[in-house]
Amino acid sequence: MAELLQHLLNGLVLGGTYALLGIGLTLIFGLMNVVNFAHGEFYTLGAYLAFAALALAGLDFFVALAAAIVAGAAVGWLCEITLLRPLRNESIDTTMLVMIGVWIAMQNAELLVWGGVAKSIPHPFPTAPLVLGPVAIAPLRLFVLVLAAGLIAASWLLIQKTKLGRAMRATFQDRDTAALMGVGIGRIHAATFAFGSGLAAAAGALLGPVFLVYPSMGDLASLKAFSVVILGGLGNLPGATLGGLLLGIAEELGAGYISSGYRDAVGFVIIILVLLFRPSGLFARQERIA
Amino acid sequence: MNRRSIVLLALVLVALGALTVPGESQAPIKIGVIEPLSGPVAASGNYVRMGAEIARDWLNAKGGIGGRKIDLLIEDNKSDPKEAASAAEKLIVRDKVPAIMGAWGSSMTLAAMPKLEEYGVPMVVETSSAASITKRGNPWIFRISPPSEMEALGLAQYVDKLGVKRVDFLAVNTDWGRGSITAFGDMLKKKGAAVGVAEFMEQSATDMNAQITKIKATGGDTLFLTTAVEQITLVMKQAQEQRLTRKVVTTGGSSSPTQLIKQAGAAAEGSYHIVFFMPWFPEAMPDGKLAKAFVDEWAKRGHPFEGLTEGFRGHDGIATIAEAIRVAGKDDPKAVQEALWKVSLMGVNGPIKFEKDGPAGKESGQSKPSIFVVQIRDGKVALPDFLAKK
Amino acid sequence: MTRAGGWLVVVAALTLPLWLQSPYHLHVAIMAGIFAVLAMSLNLLLGYTGQLSLGHAAFFGIGAYTSALLTLKLEWSFWPALAAAISLAGAAGFLIGRLALKLRGAYFVLVTISFAGVISLVSINWIELTNGPLGLPGVPAPQLGPWSLRAKTAYYYLVLAAVALSYVVCRRLVRSRFGRALVALRENEPLAESVGVDVTHYLVLAAVVSAGMAGLGGSLYAHYTRFVSPEVFLFTYTVTMVIMVVAGGKGTLAGPLVGAVLFTVLPEALRAAASWQWQMLAYGVLLILLVFFLPRGIVPRLVASFPARR
Repeated sequence: MAELLQHLLNGLVLGGTYALLGIGLTLIFGLMNVVNFAHGEFYTLGAYLAFAALALAGLDFFVALAAAIVAGAAVGWLCEITLLRPLRNESIDTTMLVMIGVWIAMQNAELLVWGGVAKSIPHPFPTAPLVLGPVAIAPLRLFVLVLAAGLIAASWLLIQKTKLGRAMRATFQDRDTAALMGVGIGRIHAATFAFGSGLAAAAGALLGPVFLVYPSMGDLASLKAFSVVILGGLGNLPGATLGGLLLGIAEELGAGYISSGYRDAVGFVIIILVLLFRPSGLFARQERIA
Repeated sequence: MNRRSIVLLALVLVALGALTVPGESQAPIKIGVIEPLSGPVAASGNYVRMGAEIARDWLNAKGGIGGRKIDLLIEDNKSDPKEAASAAEKLIVRDKVPAIMGAWGSSMTLAAMPKLEEYGVPMVVETSSAASITKRGNPWIFRISPPSEMEALGLAQYVDKLGVKRVDFLAVNTDWGRGSITAFGDMLKKKGAAVGVAEFMEQSATDMNAQITKIKATGGDTLFLTTAVEQITLVMKQAQEQRLTRKVVTTGGSSSPTQLIKQAGAAAEGSYHIVFFMPWFPEAMPDGKLAKAFVDEWAKRGHPFEGLTEGFRGHDGIATIAEAIRVAGKDDPKAVQEALWKVSLMGVNGPIKFEKDGPAGKESGQSKPSIFVVQIRDGKVALPDFLAKK
Repeated sequence: MTRAGGWLVVVAALTLPLWLQSPYHLHVAIMAGIFAVLAMSLNLLLGYTGQLSLGHAAFFGIGAYTSALLTLKLEWSFWPALAAAISLAGAAGFLIGRLALKLRGAYFVLVTISFAGVISLVSINWIELTNGPLGLPGVPAPQLGPWSLRAKTAYYYLVLAAVALSYVVCRRLVRSRFGRALVALRENEPLAESVGVDVTHYLVLAAVVSAGMAGLGGSLYAHYTRFVSPEVFLFTYTVTMVIMVVAGGKGTLAGPLVGAVLFTVLPEALRAAASWQWQMLAYGVLLILLVFFLPRGIVPRLVASFPARR
């Protein structure tokens, strides 16, 4: 029983960050219809920024996290206006291809700048695990879980309660009407991409200290993000949240009880099963947008 | 034609033009190097490259070989066997190298091997550990790194002193990890130890908590860990979080204990590591002066200390090829291959001399490298407790 | 493209070993040919049915492993092994095609990625069958009667024949009723259905042919490189195929060919032109530029620039 609870707890921590990745991508992929293969690279960018801020500039952890989010959003915004906006009327394959180019370019630029050696990010938390009854959790991971939850909640609020969020939902529900109502479509697209990328960078900054930072860390993150998006339904924020948590837990349980070699297969099999039986995602009862 | 078509045409012409540019002048001696310089193991590949560059510069400072300077032609195999084969082809045909060092990962090396046979060019294998590499009957392969079986034999003498009774394995899910489990498992069984579970992790996996939970449940006393230093760091940290208390032995020589101390901290305390180079006490190596000089030069160039445990491979590989070219008297592939059987030199790891391995008539060369065990004690790398003098 | 241009290309291809002497260049040509087959196969799905299969490396890998295992372990001759590789890959395509019954767009993409992911993990973990990460070295070269096709020149002509065959198959399909139905599907599925086009039937058929062709590419790859390992299922192979099809011009017959040649030559040219640190960065940047200036791909742009004379 203790083993099961430990697996569940591990899964929850991972799932929180998968959820962050998923929320960002569900907006970009689900609403903007961009197959963003570079999503994982923003995750990596966030991690390297956190490394730079913490290990090199000696800044405080929260400042580092904020810097990572801002940088991720800024680079995302730049990508949107220089590359995606001019191609907005092209087919989905064209935007996908340009994001593949961005993926290759970003990853190799990081390799060039930082080198291939993995970096470890120092953090202020004690390493001894907190014991909560039958399970143990490192303070850092608990912190990650709490912060991830906070960011997820903040995202929900932004989409539901703010003017920007309303404008985003309107644009993606019906672009022409939104435009007629005075919504700047270009700005909304840029803001959405920036927001999604910022969240990915946040996930990277949070997980960087837990694991290690290296140029190819984003590849698996991208794949997991796409899985979460499909699980939750395209454009579905609560769906992406729950989907992320579910994927993290399912992976942990699969690796623990079935086979560690096939760990990632669990995610794949779940996706295939979900899509066979509930093609619009597990949580399709919810509204399509946020 | 409009502007866009001109851009396109220019791109195509540049591509074709670059492809047909002839190779450089023939005066320097060219040695090919194929390593994973990008992708998940970019760090290791780059360390080997750095070691190779030190060897080249030392040799050139002494006048090169027969008065000719050495030129390293470095190719990236991108951790992809197809690229390793293409790189070998390019080096052999376009650049006409008489010998190559590479290709780090066993599947990369295996993919390049048919090209070696096709064109008759020797390759010195500096890292790959799969037994099959020297058993396939390819007479153009000369390996200076130990296959997993040799490594296991190297540890055999310490098994009793370590007090290993029940062993579990956790390895990266590649040829190296699997080969290691087989080799060490067989050796340990012969020594009377019981083998528990064998868990795997994907090369890019970062969360091994599930595997650690399973291992915790077996009640064994030792964990054999085979993977790259980044994953070892993660495993140790996660094992500490789960309060896994047992002896840990890492194999493969890629564990970079210094990096582990830096990144895993107290979680690495007490662990044992099989290494092929001890940069912390270079004087204890078979050629203490050479080892010390290598460590100093590495530091002078600002390379990270933790890379030494892999970087020396690059040095030894190039030194071996250079020696063979010197013995052969010319940089012709066939002559170099014949000369490789005759070389006997001192590398950073120790003496290098090739013995026959594989099917009769088409043997590959396998050297017998020195194998060492170190331990992390009090946050520093030291000789293992069972060897330390009282 | 003009007729004369087309014939020029054919003659150049047929006589390639005469004017491209270096074995290294011939190697690049052979790889370009193998990828041309792969790109054409992906184009059938992506360009003509509009469905993006991001798991195409799975069919490629299944073809490679089938061919390698049959010739290595059961000592079959190359030709029946090739047939088996195509069939098995085609069967896998049938499976995916059936799944496509229910799914479209993003969902289909994900199923294909997941499928490829599962097959990849099986190839790594099912050691008894595939030898796992150690791979299968020593795959024999094909024989044509008494002649071995191991030599590069001979193998080049084998690959060229495969390219020609694939091209003809694609062309026939596209210009037949099948092709027209596919286009109707892509343009307006509900309308197509309403006039009686059996959507399911055509999608599945497209998937089977596409997968089988990729299996052909896989077998050719296995017997040329003579080493097959789980890396054939790497996502980068699929990405490369996608780049070739979309940058070359999806939905055109010549697009994948142009894309395959360009994107096989480009990394090798970069290998010669740039030191290893800059190669992949340059590749990414060049790709972005290409998409930016030629968003529909190369061939559609060329066709627009050189309208056929009446």
